[in-house]
Amino acid sequence: MTNLEKYINAFTTTFGIGESEVEGLEYQQIKAWDSIGHMSLVSAIEDAFGIMMDTDDIIDFSSFEKGKDILKKYDVEIESV
Amino acid sequence: MTGKVCFITGSNRGIGRAMVEAFARGGASIIAHARKKNDAFDAEMRSLAETYGVSITPVYFDMTDTEAMKAVFKAFYQNKTRIDILINNAGVAHGGLFSMTPVSKIKEVFEINLFSAMELTQLVLKIMTRQRSGCIINLGSIAGLDLKPGNSAYGVSKAALMAWTRTLASEVAQHGIRVNAIAPGLTDTGMAAQMEEKAGREMVESSAMKRLAKPEEIAKAALFLASDDASFINGQVIRVDGGSA
Repeated sequence: MTNLEKYINAFTTTFGIGESEVEGLEYQQIKAWDSIGHMSLVSAIEDAFGIMMDTDDIIDFSSFEKGKDILKKYDVEIESV
Repeated sequence: MTGKVCFITGSNRGIGRAMVEAFARGGASIIAHARKKNDAFDAEMRSLAETYGVSITPVYFDMTDTEAMKAVFKAFYQNKTRIDILINNAGVAHGGLFSMTPVSKIKEVFEINLFSAMELTQLVLKIMTRQRSGCIINLGSIAGLDLKPGNSAYGVSKAALMAWTRTLASEVAQHGIRVNAIAPGLTDTGMAAQMEEKAGREMVESSAMKRLAKPEEIAKAALFLASDDASFINGQVIRVDGGSA
């Protein structure tokens, strides 16, 4: 599984949405991505990449795209779609 | 407690040390935190582990050193270490009239008694939420409930810790995590010995039982709160002070 596939998988399994819906997705844009869902998403991403995100990064993680930038700090490079 | 893993901060003396013994006797594995590495403490923990047939792992970091704290937890995550019970026990005492207490001192007390416990709890919650279970016990104080003169630093920091206990409990219950606090009366520890004699005497006099608490009595309350017998107790502050006179 590529990093992109792992990343997309974290969103689809956490929020119960299809792969076509993740691109451009933003925090609180859908009902499932509320504050509780956000913490579940962070757990899924931490587990997928074996990292521990700082609280500041958890707060800044405001969209599907922004998350890719943040993961670079943890040496996780997400390939372009 | 058999099979449970309990993380206790400030476990090298006083109430924390009594907690280690109580939980080990109950069959829990312990992660025993202290600020500085200490061979005598290591040896003591090995001896206790042998006595009770449990695992006791000392870990060392300054509670105000976020990076050192995170380094310990990175290892926990990598090793998939369980934490079933967190006891936020580490703390410092300070007494003095408000006008004679520099705000820098109040900040220092809050840093250890509240903010570092919050920081640690955020890291532990990453583990507990994945487990979908856990129990957090914060060590408050009756000083934070009664708020008598001289408690602008210690008492107010403990009041904040106990208030936070209630709001955290309401947030994490959905993940199967309970959060409670114990508010001990004056307890027979090194911290009590640092108190001004008059203030200590007044605290003992205000207790219906007219004596200091023993550290083991506080530890037993924690043991109860961490047990399945307390499975529906959540967001509470339990006074363990011998009753009010």
